[in-house]
Amino acid sequence: MRPLSRPLLVLLLVIVALLVAFPQLAERYYVQLATKMMIMGIFAMSLDLLVGYTRLVSLGHAAFFGLAGYALAVLQRDLGLVSLWTTLPLTLGICALVALLVGALAIRTSGIYFIMVTLAIAQMLYYFANDTRALGGSDGMFIGAKPSAEVFGLELFDLKNRVTFYYFALGALVASFFLARMVLASLFGRVIDAIRCNEPRTRALGFTTWRYKLAMFAIAGMLAGLAGYIGAAQDGIVNPAYLSWHQSGQALVIVILGGMGTLYGPVVGAFVLIALEDVAAGITEHWLLFIGVFVIAVVLLLPRGIASLPIVEMLGRLRRGGTPPPRPIPEAGDD
Amino acid sequence: MDVSTFLVQSLNSVQYGFLLFLVASGLTLIFGILGVINLAHGSFFMIGAYLAHWLALKTGNLFVAIALGLPLSFLLGLAVERLAIGFLYARDHLYQVLLTYGLILIFNELQRILWGNDVHGVPTPAALSASIPLTEAQSYPVYRFFISLACLGVAAAMYLVINRTKLGMLIRAGASNREMVELLGFGVKRLYAVVFALGAALTAFAGMLSAPVNSVYPGMGEHVLIISFVVVVIGGLGSIQGAFVGAMLIGFVDTFGKVFLPEAASLSVYAFMAAVLLWRPQGLFGVRPA
Amino acid sequence: MTEALLETRGLSKHFGGLAAVSDVSLAFEAGRVHAVIGPNGAGKTTFLNLLSGEMRPSAGSVWFKDRAITGLTPDRVARLGIGRSFQRTNVFTELTCFENCWIAAQSRLPSSLRFLRPANRRSDLAASAARSLEMCGLLARRDHAASALSHGERRQLEIAMILATEPELLLFDEPLAGMGYRESQDVIALLRRIAEKRTIVLIEHDMDAVFSIAHRITVLVNGCVLETGSVSEIQGSRAVQAAYLGAEDEP
Repeated sequence: MRPLSRPLLVLLLVIVALLVAFPQLAERYYVQLATKMMIMGIFAMSLDLLVGYTRLVSLGHAAFFGLAGYALAVLQRDLGLVSLWTTLPLTLGICALVALLVGALAIRTSGIYFIMVTLAIAQMLYYFANDTRALGGSDGMFIGAKPSAEVFGLELFDLKNRVTFYYFALGALVASFFLARMVLASLFGRVIDAIRCNEPRTRALGFTTWRYKLAMFAIAGMLAGLAGYIGAAQDGIVNPAYLSWHQSGQALVIVILGGMGTLYGPVVGAFVLIALEDVAAGITEHWLLFIGVFVIAVVLLLPRGIASLPIVEMLGRLRRGGTPPPRPIPEAGDD
Repeated sequence: MDVSTFLVQSLNSVQYGFLLFLVASGLTLIFGILGVINLAHGSFFMIGAYLAHWLALKTGNLFVAIALGLPLSFLLGLAVERLAIGFLYARDHLYQVLLTYGLILIFNELQRILWGNDVHGVPTPAALSASIPLTEAQSYPVYRFFISLACLGVAAAMYLVINRTKLGMLIRAGASNREMVELLGFGVKRLYAVVFALGAALTAFAGMLSAPVNSVYPGMGEHVLIISFVVVVIGGLGSIQGAFVGAMLIGFVDTFGKVFLPEAASLSVYAFMAAVLLWRPQGLFGVRPA
Repeated sequence: MTEALLETRGLSKHFGGLAAVSDVSLAFEAGRVHAVIGPNGAGKTTFLNLLSGEMRPSAGSVWFKDRAITGLTPDRVARLGIGRSFQRTNVFTELTCFENCWIAAQSRLPSSLRFLRPANRRSDLAASAARSLEMCGLLARRDHAASALSHGERRQLEIAMILATEPELLLFDEPLAGMGYRESQDVIALLRRIAEKRTIVLIEHDMDAVFSIAHRITVLVNGCVLETGSVSEIQGSRAVQAAYLGAEDEP
């Protein structure tokens, strides 16, 4: 993982500042939409960890997104837990555990098999949720109350307030971004870099690569769970659609659209795609047709995503298409 | 379970297995020869079903509908190959997945535009709507036998084409050594187009055959696609034998799974896939990657 | 008489009817350079594969520091302190030279499943990487991507990577293959520097190089040991000359 260049860091800070100011200026509908964008941004970042940084193309990542929503719903309805401080850690823990199980099976395969197996497993969870009456079947479950941020009787913030919820999501987005970067900068992250570049060589060095891939799968699953938790809390409902492969497919589109292997690219991609969907849905009920054409256009015309656009690349040494760029030969006077 | 139920369910398994085989063999052929993973493969199943519905309505005869629908599907396959799939050769699987995902969205919406959101049925042809008695209590629909026979016929034809004709030789050569086929000057572009269109037509044929038995509804392609992925994962990508064995296995697991565990009906197939993967990650007939 | 660091006893490998390596019993002394030479197809690379765990022997055993390592997987063998180069250079082309050596050094840590602390705080790994790059003369190129290196430099980078793992025993498979004269001289000098403190088993076709750095030489023909001896013994051996006259060797 390359360190962020200064101009890029400044740009990201400016964007965050804009996001902070946004609810003060915008209408309710757009605050909600922006919240949704940020949630999808977290979800897309989690997928980027797999696709862009580890070369594990998962077509079933929505499994963890939806699982988190169902976990929250069940914890609330059946265990009566309403506190953010209990439901969130529990949900993340459940997602990590399931990710370890799913990953242990899926990572036995590679390449195209991995894509198909992750899709199949996510479908299995989809059908399970759809067919199980205790989980509400195809109607899903209500999440009656927003998680409560009470600590020792003192409410730290009120998630029922739309704007507060927005800032909560923004905080989660920024925190996830830095946490993900921390993980990528660690010793673990170095091994992941090596695996991405040349897995057989990494094995030859003595690393048991499947363990690292599995760990990354669990981390990504947990982060997707964070997104799903916030998403379900926002909607107040969870249903099988949260687990559907269209949810997985959309996330993959966002990652590529934004530029995989950058973390910030997929966040931008989330904003762009959801804005596009919102506009298109307002124009025609058959807006998915245009999204389909858009997806094909992205694949053919901008495969390395928004992060690879010349103006963005001008801002520094950036990651292109998920692979680290060859370092330019340092000029005298550098460093 | 008594004998007659067992017999009926076995026949259902075989019939389902045969249909899955048609779909999965198209998928595995396209991947094995063209190196492309085509998510929109299930869409051709849906296209076949809708063509059967529409043409049967227009002509009043399912056989005529199939006879017309097959070449239409083949031509559509050629068109899709020229306009979209052709950009995917030698590209990363990730981009193939994304582009064909875009195709699914387009096909689904086109279907909705043309035929709306309703569920349709296709009447079984009068000639085949009888039932054959199996035992005193049970009889079995003739049409379902017809499905199995038709699929068997197609499978036999596929075997003959692949093993006894020049096209088949090119297909086999292309599967193991693409560059060599190109170097030898055979029109690889045309070969690819034909193989893709054949795969699409196979799947569409399965869709047409099964239309009277299952309903015709929006999004039906996805379900078939994912099951055919499971078949191919179990059987091993690129292997027609594997597709056959996998399809039959899934046919039985799914049918009997629904009988024994109705609550967990859909899960049995995936649990089976998980078990196979734990044992052989490359599938039953797949080649273990280096 | 220094002890044998590595020893093979009756080591054999068959592929169907073909015996690639046949009943090879050799002792490699610590601190020495031991070259394995022979005509093409003599089984040298197969022999090395048996030592490093890439292949399992059909018969016989391999002993490292009096411990049986027969049949251990390559990563286990690497962890024991045996480093190996391959005929085809295989480095991380997209990473910089420094990063290549870093990850090699990191592979010696008991566990890299550390998720939160920044990796670049590990000055020990940085020092190890820098040291190996310097020994191989690549320190000036440390921040260049491996893809920017010439063929000879990539071979040096591979050697640097092996050095970064701080092995006791190094296995080299034709390190000079495909190199011009000047590049070869650089690598030969490097091998000499490395040999000062470590044990090396070297497969090479370049006889000048072999004679100039090896302490002992084993000649393999058709998978069997023809002769083992000092440089002068091998140079003077009639049997060896006869073996080579049949199958032409090239410098």
